[in-house]
Amino acid sequence: MKTIHQFETKEVVAGYDQKTILHGLDVEIPSNKINVIIGANACGKSTLLKTMARLIKPQSGQVILDGKSIDQIPPKQLARVLGILPQSPIVPEGITVTDLVGRGRYPHQKMFSGWSKKDYEAVAEAMEIMNIAELADRNIDELSGGQRQRVWIAMALTQQTDILFLDEPTTFLDIAYQVEILDLLTDLNRKYGTTIVMVLHDINLSARYADYIFALEKGQLIAEGEPSQVITTDLVKKVFGLDCTVINDPVSLSPMVVPRGRYHVQVNESL
Amino acid sequence: MRHPLLTVIKQGRIKRRQRWLLINSILFATSLALCCAMLMFGNSYYPPQEIWSALTGNAAGGASFAVNTIRFPRMLAGFFAGIAFGIAGNTFQTMLRNPLANPDILGITAGSSVAALICILIFHTSNTVVSIASVIAGLLTVFLIFILSKGKSFSIGRLILVGIGIQAMLSAAISFLLMRGAQEDIPTALRWLNGSLNGAQLDSTIPLMITVILCAPIVAILGRQLGILELGEESATSLGLNTNQTRILLVLTSVAMLAIATATTGPIAFVAFLAGPIAKRLVGVGYSNVIPAGLVGVNLVLAADLIGQFAFTTRYPVGIITGLLGAPYLIYLLIRMNRKGSL
Repeated sequence: MKTIHQFETKEVVAGYDQKTILHGLDVEIPSNKINVIIGANACGKSTLLKTMARLIKPQSGQVILDGKSIDQIPPKQLARVLGILPQSPIVPEGITVTDLVGRGRYPHQKMFSGWSKKDYEAVAEAMEIMNIAELADRNIDELSGGQRQRVWIAMALTQQTDILFLDEPTTFLDIAYQVEILDLLTDLNRKYGTTIVMVLHDINLSARYADYIFALEKGQLIAEGEPSQVITTDLVKKVFGLDCTVINDPVSLSPMVVPRGRYHVQVNESL
Repeated sequence: MRHPLLTVIKQGRIKRRQRWLLINSILFATSLALCCAMLMFGNSYYPPQEIWSALTGNAAGGASFAVNTIRFPRMLAGFFAGIAFGIAGNTFQTMLRNPLANPDILGITAGSSVAALICILIFHTSNTVVSIASVIAGLLTVFLIFILSKGKSFSIGRLILVGIGIQAMLSAAISFLLMRGAQEDIPTALRWLNGSLNGAQLDSTIPLMITVILCAPIVAILGRQLGILELGEESATSLGLNTNQTRILLVLTSVAMLAIATATTGPIAFVAFLAGPIAKRLVGVGYSNVIPAGLVGVNLVLAADLIGQFAFTTRYPVGIITGLLGAPYLIYLLIRMNRKGSL
């Protein structure tokens, strides 16, 4: 089981260049849970994720891991606790799946050493979890979008961090692959206790897969908690400006948002 | 339970490792063979034992002069310039993830050439000053390209376009300096336009040797970091790489080698451009490309110099031959990248 970490942001103000997107955010990430950040486009979801994962330096405020500001922790040591899968990772042309996944071992390797037994095992394990064993010697250029995404997550897994950030890991994937990726991430959380923090676009998949939800609006945290408490008609109206009915997902019993829109509305009262 | 997969992974790694070692050994062997050929052939042929006695100071006048004063310095200059151009080109191409982003096309080599020319033609300075000035000019050119292409968000396409513009301006400056300074000295002019090993002297090759011996191992050691940097800023940061520090170290060492090689032999065209992609084609991706790129550089320079000396009735400087090799590749690359829309 992964170590329990206290991970939080304190009055984080962050953005790009002169533009401030997050206005003093206090977030505490529940350890060993699947956390999902939701919100409308440009509300600061990705900015929050990137700031927590030290890809963006906050303009003021701090990101704190176990009582220590993350910029005080040596980068390689931090990389053994925090990993992130960026939204659009860059693929070096012609690399094999094994070698790409293996690059995730960088924070565990010493200057001159080759791959250790542990490195091999970590790569094999990650490839097994992500179901890409048969792709080991394939060239990454030949893979489909869904396969590539699994390879990238496998690379983040070989890093063997306790906390894993993912920025829209299901974008550009069809619904079957979306569910598959989210199932695999849940495996990871249930089996190893990896804390997962991700941005997802699909609110219904978020409600189903999240243990804990953070809802952002214009760079402010407006609700947090378990999906059944957070996902309400009021919240959806506030965050997305959308009229909807919230029902119970017939499969998972988690809340399910059914948008109302202007057409095709046959039933007017809430269920 | 995972034994079959572990074996597959290990065997794949071992196979690629063996290929890497094999390719490097072959490249090293051909480099040595070309070095020997550089010493043996010239206006007259000397067999290996005579070269050996010339190098150890036991030969008669003619052989001693030809080998020690002309061929040996020429070979050394070609060898070390090849390593320098090959490694520096590969570093930039890998770091910026684009084969067009190399010192020739970005104008970094031209920056060093301008500084070296100003020192030689206008101020008549010593070799040391020429070396230092060309390194500083190379770094300033890099700095200028980065500043001018910074914009709101970093784009490699913009960086390459800015570099091409700077390269054009600096080439004009080179032509201007040559017109003003050295009408009577055509060999020198050619050397600064295309690069040449003609007239390489032992004492002017020493700064290049020292720089390559110091810098090449640093870049080779940073090979793994270079591979992480290739994954992009975000992934590299996530993996715990200090990206700025690594990039600065790589740029400093690469530009130092490149600039001093340029000050010694002139900008031997397209070696920095060709070496990385050829090495990558040969060894595949996954292992560090630094050493093979250096060795490919050596092979290119020495082979092109031998071709330039002996294949035609007129003797051509090495840069003309590498230019002939590089230009079609550049066109091929532009067409391919244009098709893929990655330009």
